[in-house]
Amino acid sequence: MIEVKNIYKKFGRKKVLNGVSFTAEKGKITCLIGVNGVGKTTILNAIMNLTPINHGEITMGDEKISDRSFEKITFIPDAITMIPSMTIAESMQFMQDFYDSWNQKRATELLGFFKLKETEQISDLSKGNTAKVNLLLGLALDVDFLLMDEPFSGIDIFSREQIADVFSSHLVEDRGVIITTHEINDIEHLIDKVILLDDGVVLKAFNAEDVRENEGKSVVDVMREVYQA
Amino acid sequence: MKINFNKRDPVYVQVVRHFKEEIATGILEPGQEIPSRRELAAKLKINPNTAQRAYKEMEEAGLIYTEGNLPSKITKDEAVLGAVREALILQAVDTFMTTIRPINVPLDEVVDLIKEKYTTETNGEGGGMGD
Repeated sequence: MIEVKNIYKKFGRKKVLNGVSFTAEKGKITCLIGVNGVGKTTILNAIMNLTPINHGEITMGDEKISDRSFEKITFIPDAITMIPSMTIAESMQFMQDFYDSWNQKRATELLGFFKLKETEQISDLSKGNTAKVNLLLGLALDVDFLLMDEPFSGIDIFSREQIADVFSSHLVEDRGVIITTHEINDIEHLIDKVILLDDGVVLKAFNAEDVRENEGKSVVDVMREVYQA
Repeated sequence: MKINFNKRDPVYVQVVRHFKEEIATGILEPGQEIPSRRELAAKLKINPNTAQRAYKEMEEAGLIYTEGNLPSKITKDEAVLGAVREALILQAVDTFMTTIRPINVPLDEVVDLIKEKYTTETNGEGGGMGD
């Protein structure tokens, strides 16, 4: 389990996170929702120990997040991360050389799953295929947690469907996923937990099936109540 | 197998309802093997935890059973199967009632209309020729 405990973060004088707390379990999909600039990416960076937080604590299992956390958690960004002149195959090789946790069998399966051509160059990829390559490179690592930053943002509907299919497939297996998004439609049926953020705080956290079961509300109904109150 | 999910009922409830419909209509037969939880999740594009929950509910209700490590199967229990069919029929009638009641049609007229509709549609299906 990843536990984010009362974290604060300032960039200069701008307060981005003002005491954020939530948990994300293995085998569950946790979705961080909020408009752009609400600090979602900052939270993911903090979990990866890529940005120092001003206050609070993040733990995984019994340990505090550290420089070695990348061995157990992977961050899948929403932009190109590989060198543009590389092909997909070269990017995969690069990851294999760098990470002990690289799982070549799953990587090959992911190529087929996303219908990507190994020979294609990173710089030639569409936005949708860039997102799929990023997911491939992250999902191919044998880690416990996958952090996905806006995987659906700005890409075509068919790519979005393909990416959503990852969550119902065995490719995620029993790992934990934390996903940030401001577009819930693609994954409303797929997520376990929802964390609604605004102004650097958690406004509401709930299980999607629970609000349907106990209150007869959709995730979007709850969002409307919380954000338009 | 495909379900058009609504957004306000729990997904697992909708999955169970779908199975009940397929059992009552004979698409799923008694003793028939059903997909694994993983397969069902991929097929219906739902969270594997939700598929697990739906199967747990169905197992507890006696709709499906699992022997050892074998794939789960649809029950052969006549009483359970009968109850599923009956519940589905009652539910359909209830839905019909809520729409027809406010119109205040005399019962005889409704019954005649149902009879007429029912025969035409059954014939239409059986003939399979269309218009």
